[in-house]
Amino acid sequence: MNMNMLSRSKKLVSSVFKSSGLLEQTGVFRSISSIPKSRDSLCLPRRFTSSLSSCPHWHHVSARHLDTKRFYSEMCSESSDSKSSTGLFQEVSHEMDCDSSSLSQRSSETFTLDVLVSLLRQENAVDICVIKVPEQIKYTENFIVVSGVSPRHLRAMALYAIKVYKFLKKDGARNVKIQGKDAEDWMCIDFGNMVVHFMLPETREVYELEKLWTLRMYDEQLMSMPTETLPEDFIYDVEVTK
Amino acid sequence: MAFPLLSKSLTGLLVESSSIIHRRTFSVSAVAAAIQKMTRVRVVDNSSLGNTPYHRPPRVIHVYTKNGVGKVGDKVLLAIKGQKKKALIVGHKMPGERMSPRFDSNNVVLIEDNGNPTGTRIKVPIPTHLRKVEGDYAKVLAIASSFV
Repeated sequence: MNMNMLSRSKKLVSSVFKSSGLLEQTGVFRSISSIPKSRDSLCLPRRFTSSLSSCPHWHHVSARHLDTKRFYSEMCSESSDSKSSTGLFQEVSHEMDCDSSSLSQRSSETFTLDVLVSLLRQENAVDICVIKVPEQIKYTENFIVVSGVSPRHLRAMALYAIKVYKFLKKDGARNVKIQGKDAEDWMCIDFGNMVVHFMLPETREVYELEKLWTLRMYDEQLMSMPTETLPEDFIYDVEVTK
Repeated sequence: MAFPLLSKSLTGLLVESSSIIHRRTFSVSAVAAAIQKMTRVRVVDNSSLGNTPYHRPPRVIHVYTKNGVGKVGDKVLLAIKGQKKKALIVGHKMPGERMSPRFDSNNVVLIEDNGNPTGTRIKVPIPTHLRKVEGDYAKVLAIASSFV
Protein backbone atom coordinates (compact mmCIF):
# COMPACT_ATOMS: atom_id res chain seq x y z
CA MET A 1 0.00 0.00 0.00
CA ASN A 2 2.79 2.34 0.89
CA MET A 3 4.73 1.55 -2.26
CA ASN A 4 1.66 2.10 -4.32
CA MET A 5 1.19 5.54 -2.84
CA LEU A 6 4.84 6.29 -3.35
CA SER A 7 4.81 5.43 -7.03
CA ARG A 8 1.63 7.35 -7.67
CA SER A 9 2.73 10.45 -5.90
CA LYS A 10 6.13 10.26 -7.56
CA LYS A 11 4.43 10.53 -10.93
CA LEU A 12 2.37 13.44 -9.74
CA VAL A 13 5.28 15.17 -8.13
CA SER A 14 7.42 14.96 -11.24
CA SER A 15 4.62 16.31 -13.37
CA VAL A 16 4.03 19.07 -10.87
CA PHE A 17 7.63 20.19 -11.02
CA LYS A 18 7.55 20.25 -14.78
CA SER A 19 4.87 22.88 -14.71
CA SER A 20 6.40 26.26 -14.16
CA GLY A 21 5.19 28.91 -11.83
CA LEU A 22 4.39 26.57 -9.02
CA LEU A 23 6.63 28.24 -6.50
CA GLU A 24 4.60 31.36 -6.21
CA GLN A 25 1.66 29.27 -5.15
CA THR A 26 3.26 28.47 -1.84
CA GLY A 27 0.86 30.92 -0.25
CA VAL A 28 -2.02 28.79 -1.45
CA PHE A 29 -0.22 25.68 -0.27
CA ARG A 30 0.06 27.02 3.22
CA SER A 31 -3.63 27.62 3.49
CA ILE A 32 -4.55 24.25 2.05
CA SER A 33 -1.99 22.24 3.95
CA SER A 34 -3.86 22.72 7.16
CA ILE A 35 -6.30 20.05 6.06
CA PRO A 36 -6.19 17.42 8.79
CA LYS A 37 -5.62 13.75 8.35
CA SER A 38 -9.29 12.88 8.51
CA ARG A 39 -9.59 14.23 4.98
CA ASP A 40 -8.13 10.96 3.72
CA SER A 41 -11.48 9.27 3.57
CA LEU A 42 -12.72 12.12 1.43
CA CYS A 43 -9.79 11.95 -0.98
CA LEU A 44 -9.88 8.23 -1.40
CA PRO A 45 -12.59 7.91 -4.04
CA ARG A 46 -11.09 10.66 -6.17
CA ARG A 47 -9.27 9.72 -9.34
CA PHE A 48 -5.51 10.00 -9.30
CA THR A 49 -4.74 10.84 -12.89
CA SER A 50 -1.16 11.34 -13.80
CA SER A 51 -1.97 14.22 -16.09
CA LEU A 52 -2.03 16.86 -13.43
CA SER A 53 -3.34 20.19 -14.49
CA SER A 54 -5.02 22.04 -11.69
CA CYS A 55 -3.58 22.88 -8.33
CA PRO A 56 -6.44 21.57 -6.17
CA HIS A 57 -5.72 18.08 -7.39
CA TRP A 58 -2.27 18.39 -5.96
CA HIS A 59 -3.74 19.61 -2.69
CA HIS A 60 -5.74 16.46 -2.28
CA VAL A 61 -2.70 14.37 -2.93
CA SER A 62 -0.60 16.33 -0.52
CA ALA A 63 -3.19 15.99 2.19
CA ARG A 64 -3.14 12.27 1.68
CA HIS A 65 0.53 11.67 1.48
CA LEU A 66 2.07 14.19 3.76
CA ASP A 67 1.45 12.25 6.89
CA THR A 68 4.85 10.79 7.42
CA LYS A 69 7.94 12.90 7.20
CA ARG A 70 10.08 9.85 6.55
CA PHE A 71 8.05 9.14 3.45
CA TYR A 72 8.62 12.64 2.23
CA SER A 73 12.36 12.63 2.68
CA GLU A 74 12.47 9.59 0.41
CA MET A 75 10.74 11.53 -2.31
CA CYS A 76 13.04 14.47 -1.83
CA SER A 77 16.10 12.37 -2.36
CA GLU A 78 14.66 10.69 -5.41
CA SER A 79 13.68 13.83 -7.26
CA SER A 80 16.75 15.11 -8.99
CA ASP A 81 15.54 18.69 -9.18
CA SER A 82 16.98 21.92 -7.94
CA LYS A 83 17.29 22.94 -4.33
CA SER A 84 14.27 25.22 -4.56
CA SER A 85 12.00 22.24 -5.09
CA THR A 86 13.28 20.42 -2.04
CA GLY A 87 12.92 23.65 -0.12
CA LEU A 88 9.28 23.70 -1.18
CA PHE A 89 8.81 20.15 0.00
CA GLN A 90 10.32 20.80 3.36
CA GLU A 91 8.20 23.83 3.82
CA VAL A 92 5.04 21.94 3.01
CA SER A 93 5.91 18.97 5.16
CA HIS A 94 6.80 21.28 8.00
CA GLU A 95 3.41 22.93 7.70
CA MET A 96 1.69 19.59 7.76
CA ASP A 97 3.54 18.53 10.85
CA CYS A 98 2.68 21.49 12.97
CA ASP A 99 -0.89 21.46 11.78
CA SER A 100 -1.49 17.77 12.10
CA SER A 101 -0.41 18.02 15.69
CA SER A 102 -3.31 20.32 16.42
CA LEU A 103 -5.96 18.00 15.08
CA SER A 104 -8.52 19.29 17.51
CA GLN A 105 -9.11 22.40 15.41
CA ARG A 106 -11.00 21.90 12.15
CA SER A 107 -9.61 23.10 8.86
CA SER A 108 -9.35 26.83 8.93
CA GLU A 109 -10.69 26.96 5.41
CA THR A 110 -14.30 27.87 4.95
CA PHE A 111 -16.39 26.82 2.03
CA THR A 112 -15.79 29.87 -0.10
CA LEU A 113 -16.42 30.53 -3.76
CA ASP A 114 -12.84 29.53 -4.58
CA VAL A 115 -13.26 26.15 -2.99
CA LEU A 116 -16.47 25.54 -4.89
CA VAL A 117 -15.05 26.59 -8.23
CA SER A 118 -11.94 24.53 -7.73
CA LEU A 119 -13.92 21.43 -6.90
CA LEU A 120 -16.15 22.00 -9.92
CA ARG A 121 -13.09 22.25 -12.12
CA GLN A 122 -11.77 19.09 -10.60
CA GLU A 123 -15.03 17.34 -11.44
CA ASN A 124 -14.64 18.25 -15.13
CA ALA A 125 -17.64 20.53 -15.06
CA VAL A 126 -18.50 22.03 -18.41
CA ASP A 127 -18.99 25.81 -18.70
CA ILE A 128 -18.69 27.12 -15.16
CA CYS A 129 -20.31 30.53 -15.01
CA VAL A 130 -19.97 32.60 -11.84
CA ILE A 131 -22.01 35.78 -11.64
CA LYS A 132 -21.56 38.31 -8.88
CA VAL A 133 -25.02 39.48 -7.95
CA PRO A 134 -25.25 43.17 -7.04
CA GLU A 135 -26.17 44.23 -3.55
CA GLN A 136 -29.62 45.57 -4.50
CA ILE A 137 -30.91 42.11 -5.29
CA LYS A 138 -31.28 40.66 -1.85
CA TYR A 139 -31.13 37.08 -2.90
CA THR A 140 -27.57 35.90 -2.79
CA GLU A 141 -24.04 37.14 -3.45
CA ASN A 142 -22.84 34.71 -6.09
CA PHE A 143 -24.82 32.87 -8.69
CA ILE A 144 -23.13 29.90 -10.34
CA VAL A 145 -24.39 27.91 -13.32
CA VAL A 146 -22.64 24.68 -14.25
CA SER A 147 -23.25 22.23 -17.06
CA GLY A 148 -22.58 18.55 -16.98
CA VAL A 149 -22.13 15.77 -19.47
CA SER A 150 -24.99 13.56 -18.29
CA PRO A 151 -27.59 13.45 -15.48
CA ARG A 152 -25.31 11.09 -13.59
CA HIS A 153 -22.48 13.57 -13.88
CA LEU A 154 -24.67 16.34 -12.49
CA ARG A 155 -25.73 14.21 -9.57
CA ALA A 156 -22.16 13.24 -8.82
CA MET A 157 -21.03 16.88 -8.87
CA ALA A 158 -23.87 17.95 -6.62
CA LEU A 159 -23.24 15.18 -4.13
CA TYR A 160 -19.54 15.91 -4.04
CA ALA A 161 -20.18 19.60 -3.44
CA ILE A 162 -22.46 18.72 -0.52
CA LYS A 163 -19.85 16.37 0.85
CA VAL A 164 -17.13 18.99 0.79
CA TYR A 165 -19.46 21.56 2.29
CA LYS A 166 -20.42 19.29 5.15
CA PHE A 167 -16.79 18.62 5.84
CA LEU A 168 -15.76 22.25 5.81
CA LYS A 169 -18.69 23.85 7.55
CA LYS A 170 -18.58 25.25 11.05
CA ASP A 171 -21.11 24.28 13.67
CA GLY A 172 -23.32 27.33 13.27
CA ALA A 173 -23.81 27.02 9.53
CA ARG A 174 -27.11 25.64 8.33
CA ASN A 175 -27.39 22.31 6.60
CA VAL A 176 -27.64 22.36 2.85
CA LYS A 177 -29.65 20.00 0.72
CA ILE A 178 -29.91 19.38 -3.00
CA GLN A 179 -33.08 20.88 -4.45
CA GLY A 180 -34.65 19.26 -7.46
CA LYS A 181 -33.18 15.86 -6.78
CA ASP A 182 -35.87 14.04 -8.77
CA ALA A 183 -35.47 16.28 -11.81
CA GLU A 184 -32.60 14.74 -13.68
CA ASP A 185 -31.73 17.74 -15.82
CA TRP A 186 -31.66 20.57 -13.28
CA MET A 187 -30.45 20.48 -9.68
CA CYS A 188 -29.72 23.35 -7.33
CA ILE A 189 -27.89 23.84 -4.09
CA ASP A 190 -28.37 26.97 -2.02
CA PHE A 191 -25.43 27.72 0.23
CA GLY A 192 -26.49 30.99 1.86
CA ASN A 193 -24.15 33.35 0.08
CA MET A 194 -23.94 31.25 -3.09
CA VAL A 195 -26.41 29.37 -5.24
CA VAL A 196 -25.25 26.69 -7.66
CA HIS A 197 -27.33 25.35 -10.50
CA PHE A 198 -26.34 22.10 -12.20
CA MET A 199 -28.06 21.81 -15.56
CA LEU A 200 -27.73 19.87 -18.76
CA PRO A 201 -26.69 21.96 -21.79
CA GLU A 202 -30.15 21.65 -23.36
CA THR A 203 -31.88 22.86 -20.20
CA ARG A 204 -29.38 25.68 -19.97
CA GLU A 205 -30.34 26.81 -23.47
CA VAL A 206 -34.01 26.83 -22.60
CA TYR A 207 -33.77 28.88 -19.42
CA GLU A 208 -30.72 31.10 -20.14
CA LEU A 209 -30.14 31.93 -16.51
CA GLU A 210 -26.84 33.69 -17.17
CA LYS A 211 -28.55 36.16 -19.46
CA LEU A 212 -31.21 36.88 -16.89
CA TRP A 213 -28.80 37.41 -14.04
CA THR A 214 -26.33 39.57 -15.92
CA LEU A 215 -28.78 41.77 -17.80
CA ARG A 216 -31.26 42.08 -15.03
CA MET A 217 -34.09 44.05 -16.61
CA TYR A 218 -32.85 44.10 -20.18
CA ASP A 219 -33.10 40.37 -20.67
CA GLU A 220 -34.53 39.35 -24.04
CA GLN A 221 -37.08 36.89 -22.78
CA LEU A 222 -38.33 39.37 -20.20
CA MET A 223 -38.72 42.11 -22.77
CA SER A 224 -40.53 39.84 -25.18
CA MET A 225 -43.16 39.10 -22.55
CA PRO A 226 -46.16 41.33 -23.21
CA THR A 227 -46.69 43.98 -20.57
CA GLU A 228 -49.74 43.24 -18.50
CA THR A 229 -52.43 45.80 -18.09
CA LEU A 230 -55.39 45.66 -15.82
CA PRO A 231 -58.63 44.88 -17.59
CA GLU A 232 -60.95 47.81 -17.92
CA ASP A 233 -63.57 46.46 -15.59
CA PHE A 234 -61.12 45.65 -12.80
CA ILE A 235 -62.47 46.50 -9.37
CA TYR A 236 -60.33 46.66 -6.30
CA ASP A 237 -61.38 44.64 -3.33
CA VAL A 238 -62.50 45.79 0.07
CA GLU A 239 -59.41 47.12 1.78
CA VAL A 240 -58.12 44.70 4.36
CA THR A 241 -56.85 46.35 7.49
CA LYS A 242 -55.10 44.44 10.20
CA MET B 1 -59.49 55.28 -21.78
CA ALA B 2 -57.07 56.99 -19.44
CA PHE B 3 -59.29 56.60 -16.41
CA PRO B 4 -58.68 52.92 -15.69
CA LEU B 5 -54.96 53.53 -15.98
CA LEU B 6 -55.26 56.52 -13.70
CA SER B 7 -57.13 54.57 -11.09
CA LYS B 8 -54.53 51.84 -11.31
CA SER B 9 -51.70 54.17 -10.45
CA LEU B 10 -53.47 55.90 -7.56
CA THR B 11 -54.28 52.74 -5.75
CA GLY B 12 -57.28 53.07 -3.52
CA LEU B 13 -56.91 56.81 -3.11
CA LEU B 14 -58.87 58.39 -5.91
CA VAL B 15 -60.78 55.45 -7.30
CA GLU B 16 -64.09 56.94 -6.28
CA SER B 17 -63.36 60.17 -8.08
CA SER B 18 -63.16 58.64 -11.57
CA SER B 19 -66.28 59.01 -13.59
CA ILE B 20 -66.32 55.47 -14.89
CA ILE B 21 -67.06 53.55 -11.71
CA HIS B 22 -68.06 49.98 -12.08
CA ARG B 23 -70.52 48.89 -9.47
CA ARG B 24 -70.57 45.31 -8.44
CA THR B 25 -73.82 43.45 -8.59
CA PHE B 26 -72.65 41.10 -5.85
CA SER B 27 -71.08 41.68 -2.43
CA VAL B 28 -67.50 40.86 -1.60
CA SER B 29 -66.05 39.93 1.71
CA ALA B 30 -62.44 40.23 2.80
CA VAL B 31 -60.14 37.28 2.24
CA ALA B 32 -60.73 34.54 4.80
CA ALA B 33 -58.48 31.73 3.67
CA ALA B 34 -55.51 32.10 1.38
CA ILE B 35 -55.88 29.67 -1.51
CA GLN B 36 -58.18 26.70 -1.43
CA LYS B 37 -60.18 24.58 -3.84
CA MET B 38 -62.03 26.48 -6.53
CA THR B 39 -60.12 29.73 -6.12
CA ARG B 40 -59.31 31.48 -9.32
CA VAL B 41 -55.60 32.20 -9.61
CA ARG B 42 -53.38 34.25 -11.82
CA VAL B 43 -50.54 32.54 -13.60
CA VAL B 44 -47.57 34.87 -13.59
CA ASP B 45 -44.88 33.17 -15.64
CA ASN B 46 -44.43 33.29 -19.40
CA SER B 47 -45.54 29.76 -20.16
CA SER B 48 -47.84 29.28 -23.12
CA LEU B 49 -50.32 27.32 -21.03
CA GLY B 50 -50.69 30.16 -18.57
CA ASN B 51 -50.91 32.98 -21.06
CA THR B 52 -53.16 31.77 -23.84
CA PRO B 53 -56.69 33.11 -23.33
CA TYR B 54 -59.39 30.65 -22.39
CA HIS B 55 -63.02 31.20 -21.59
CA ARG B 56 -62.53 29.97 -18.01
CA PRO B 57 -59.94 31.29 -15.56
CA PRO B 58 -57.53 28.74 -14.05
CA ARG B 59 -58.90 27.28 -10.82
CA VAL B 60 -57.36 25.34 -8.01
CA ILE B 61 -58.71 21.84 -7.70
CA HIS B 62 -56.44 20.48 -5.00
CA VAL B 63 -54.03 21.90 -2.44
CA TYR B 64 -51.15 19.70 -1.36
CA THR B 65 -51.12 20.53 2.34
CA LYS B 66 -52.52 18.89 5.45
CA ASN B 67 -55.38 21.35 5.69
CA GLY B 68 -56.81 22.47 2.41
CA VAL B 69 -55.39 25.99 2.67
CA GLY B 70 -52.47 27.04 0.56
CA LYS B 71 -50.01 29.74 1.54
CA VAL B 72 -46.87 30.99 -0.23
CA GLY B 73 -44.68 28.05 -1.14
CA ASP B 74 -47.38 25.39 -1.27
CA LYS B 75 -48.03 23.24 -4.30
CA VAL B 76 -51.50 23.14 -5.79
CA LEU B 77 -53.17 21.41 -8.68
CA LEU B 78 -54.79 23.69 -11.24
CA ALA B 79 -57.30 23.09 -13.95
CA ILE B 80 -56.12 25.14 -16.94
CA LYS B 81 -57.52 24.88 -20.43
CA GLY B 82 -59.14 21.60 -19.65
CA GLN B 83 -55.97 20.00 -18.32
CA LYS B 84 -54.49 19.43 -14.89
CA LYS B 85 -51.22 21.12 -14.01
CA LYS B 86 -49.24 21.49 -10.83
CA ALA B 87 -48.34 24.96 -9.67
CA LEU B 88 -46.58 26.79 -6.86
CA ILE B 89 -48.18 29.64 -4.93
CA VAL B 90 -46.02 32.75 -4.91
CA GLY B 91 -48.35 35.29 -3.41
CA HIS B 92 -51.86 35.59 -2.10
CA LYS B 93 -54.30 38.28 -1.12
CA MET B 94 -54.59 37.14 2.44
CA PRO B 95 -52.41 38.98 4.92
CA GLY B 96 -49.72 36.69 6.30
CA GLU B 97 -46.80 37.52 8.56
CA ARG B 98 -46.51 41.07 9.75
CA MET B 99 -43.51 42.10 7.69
CA SER B 100 -44.13 39.86 4.69
CA PRO B 101 -45.57 41.15 1.41
CA ARG B 102 -49.24 40.86 0.54
CA PHE B 103 -50.26 40.79 -3.08
CA ASP B 104 -53.33 42.12 -4.83
CA SER B 105 -53.86 38.89 -6.71
CA ASN B 106 -53.33 35.23 -5.99
CA ASN B 107 -50.20 34.52 -8.00
CA VAL B 108 -49.12 31.11 -9.09
CA VAL B 109 -46.21 29.69 -11.13
CA LEU B 110 -46.75 26.54 -13.18
CA ILE B 111 -44.35 23.69 -12.50
CA GLU B 112 -43.87 20.21 -13.88
CA ASP B 113 -44.13 17.02 -11.89
CA ASN B 114 -40.38 16.93 -11.35
CA GLY B 115 -40.34 20.47 -9.98
CA ASN B 116 -38.99 22.31 -13.02
CA PRO B 117 -40.89 25.50 -13.82
CA THR B 118 -42.89 25.40 -17.06
CA GLY B 119 -42.20 29.02 -17.98
CA THR B 120 -38.79 30.60 -18.26
CA ARG B 121 -39.29 34.09 -16.79
CA ILE B 122 -41.42 35.67 -14.08
CA LYS B 123 -42.08 39.38 -14.26
CA VAL B 124 -44.12 39.75 -11.11
CA PRO B 125 -42.22 40.33 -7.85
CA ILE B 126 -41.56 37.20 -5.84
CA PRO B 127 -41.30 37.25 -2.05
CA THR B 128 -37.83 36.51 -0.75
CA HIS B 129 -39.04 34.62 2.29
CA LEU B 130 -39.70 31.77 -0.12
CA ARG B 131 -36.03 30.95 0.29
CA LYS B 132 -36.41 30.05 3.92
CA VAL B 133 -39.41 27.80 3.42
CA GLU B 134 -38.55 24.12 3.33
CA GLY B 135 -38.79 22.90 -0.23
CA ASP B 136 -37.37 23.22 -3.71
CA TYR B 137 -37.79 26.87 -4.55
CA ALA B 138 -34.35 27.77 -5.86
CA LYS B 139 -35.50 27.13 -9.41
CA VAL B 140 -38.43 29.52 -9.19
CA LEU B 141 -36.23 32.15 -7.56
CA ALA B 142 -33.68 31.67 -10.32
CA ILE B 143 -36.13 32.61 -13.08
CA ALA B 144 -37.64 35.53 -11.16
CA SER B 145 -36.74 39.02 -12.31
CA SER B 146 -37.69 41.06 -9.27
CA PHE B 147 -37.94 40.33 -5.59
CA VAL B 148 -40.03 41.84 -2.85
